Amino acid sequence: MSHSQLASIFNKDEKKVDWHDKALWFVRHKRDKSVHEVKNWEELRNLGHGIKAHMLSNLDVYLKEFEANANKNGVEVHWAANAEEHNQIVLKILQENNAKKIVKSKSMLTEECHLNPYLEAEGLEVIDTDLGERIVQLAKEPPSHIVLPAIHKNRHEVDELFQEHLGTKPCDGDPQYLTGEARKHLRQKFIEADAALTGVNFAIAETGGFVVCTNEGNADMGAHLAPVHIACMGVEKIIPRQEHLGVFLRLLARSATGQPVTTYSSHFKKPADGKKMHIIIVDNGRSEQLSRPDFRASLHCIRCGACMNTCPIYRRSGGHSYDATIPGPIGSILSPGKDLKQYSTLPFASTLCGSCSDVCPVKIDIHAQLYKWRQIITKETPQPFIKKKSMEIMGSIFAKPSQFETVGKIARWSLRSLPKSMINSKPNAWGKARDLPLGPKESFDDWYKNREANKTKND
Amino acid sequence: MSSRDHILNRINANKPELLTLPNIDASIFDAGLNVMAEFIKKVEVVGGNVLETTSNDAVISKVETIFPDAQIKYSTIAGTEAFNTLDLTTIKKSQDLEDLDILIIESDLAVAENGAVWVSDKQLPLRVLPFITKHLVLVVSKENVVPYMHQAYEKLSDTSGFGVFIAGPSKTADIEQSLVIGAHGALSLTIFVK
Ligand code: SF4
Repeated sequence: MSHSQLASIFNKDEKKVDWHDKALWFVRHKRDKSVHEVKNWEELRNLGHGIKAHMLSNLDVYLKEFEANANKNGVEVHWAANAEEHNQIVLKILQENNAKKIVKSKSMLTEECHLNPYLEAEGLEVIDTDLGERIVQLAKEPPSHIVLPAIHKNRHEVDELFQEHLGTKPCDGDPQYLTGEARKHLRQKFIEADAALTGVNFAIAETGGFVVCTNEGNADMGAHLAPVHIACMGVEKIIPRQEHLGVFLRLLARSATGQPVTTYSSHFKKPADGKKMHIIIVDNGRSEQLSRPDFRASLHCIRCGACMNTCPIYRRSGGHSYDATIPGPIGSILSPGKDLKQYSTLPFASTLCGSCSDVCPVKIDIHAQLYKWRQIITKETPQPFIKKKSMEIMGSIFAKPSQFETVGKIARWSLRSLPKSMINSKPNAWGKARDLPLGPKESFDDWYKNREANKTKND
Repeated sequence: MSSRDHILNRINANKPELLTLPNIDASIFDAGLNVMAEFIKKVEVVGGNVLETTSNDAVISKVETIFPDAQIKYSTIAGTEAFNTLDLTTIKKSQDLEDLDILIIESDLAVAENGAVWVSDKQLPLRVLPFITKHLVLVVSKENVVPYMHQAYEKLSDTSGFGVFIAGPSKTADIEQSLVIGAHGALSLTIFVK
């Protein structure tokens, strides 16, 4: 289904859309307040951009350095060319350790690889331990946001889910009670776990260590209790030196939620005595994206979610409308690189307002890339008849000023004079749920000419 | 070819020409903070409490008044052994720490701009301690509070096998964006500065 078709499903519940829109805008607002407190924030973003751009230009060297250091630290490093290989490696490690119960903290990469269904099919228990992820796991849905996975669910839906799956009492959606119950339920899972899976926010070439950021403490509860810790990372998570964490940890949480830093920034380097630590480095299309000069900067992404919170389309269409692991503006420039046909409508799910690029902590030119994907998609994939025809017509109107002038006059007159029922009739998508402005009497051209004429008169 | 070599070869073939690595000049981010005032403010922003203290004994007696009902207690700070109700040498697996009520640890690094306090293998007999405890108490000296993360990493030449910046108690806002303190980690965080 196209983005707009999926969006219209989300749009059926108007109240929910309004809430979603406002809640995310509020998060964007908190981000603004927080970054304005940082002196030279723009310079910090430039550093974030510069370090990531440099990293990509020397990535193979840094990956080898990271691997060598991680090995020295007693960590086993594995490489996966694609999702399937990643899943097989995870399974193999689990089988070698006779692990049946697995606790997982948030990792968009394992979502991308569809690890959970793969392991479940092998009879293993996989529990997502981030509260938002657990909610969507119980609801059998994918996350709809990379930082706020259950932002599309209201408290009553969570209440019902927990009653059904965790046996909680009806509580009119009390977040305090529900979180407390989730804590108890997941505490048990942490205690029983045979292995813990985490993502990686930053992997440091210089030390072979990696950093995982959470607010809930779930990555640590899992990793320190279970005998085996498996951390999964995309190749682009590398940063050259430890001092670079100073830049990225300052950028990440402020951009994500407006917090000055996440509650826990955990630096893993060596396994604890008697325990095992594995790192899986995954390509899955990233080296391909690296080959595209116009789009490679999308690999700078540190998954803060700021571009989603600010996007007027995302806020009103919901994360599921993108039908991809990474939704929103960044998802719309990553997904077409994976499957141009399947994701051909995503780069059009944007007003090109550029707000995403303005908030991105690593200065990815997201809206410019959306525009570039559009050029490629219109050439390479068949476009709907109406769109193609209307573009042709527009093209010919714009080509001749006299024609443009006449059409403009008719349009202004129609907006002023025709009844609303006609203006907002079905073919006019712009008239859905909003009134169009009254057509002005004169065009900009007329207004300008009159002004110039008045000027000379007054001189 | 192994996947490793395959991935590395592809990256080598597809990467752009080498770009220079920018230098971090931390001085341009220096807003001349009042370090202690900022630290206290930020710890409160992230949901923790800051108290001033003069000695380890004073920390213990204050903790006992704040948490009068605590049963299982453990402290790693010097001269406070009598406070401990737990003998870590008898703990066979981390899972047995599940009922820990209070943990007190001393840290040698904290950050003013975000209220984060560093603890690592150097202070932690078991890594799970600061996460599994119900209430976490951290002790830090004023001279060990640095203004920004940049200065923190200058001091952290060795992060040891495991280390963590902790900013406030564990929290979540995953249910309709309402903030709830106490997710999987500690339910409260108290920081003593001396
Ligand atoms: S593209 Fe930028 S703003 Fe969007 S999630 Fe990634 S880092 Fe954050």
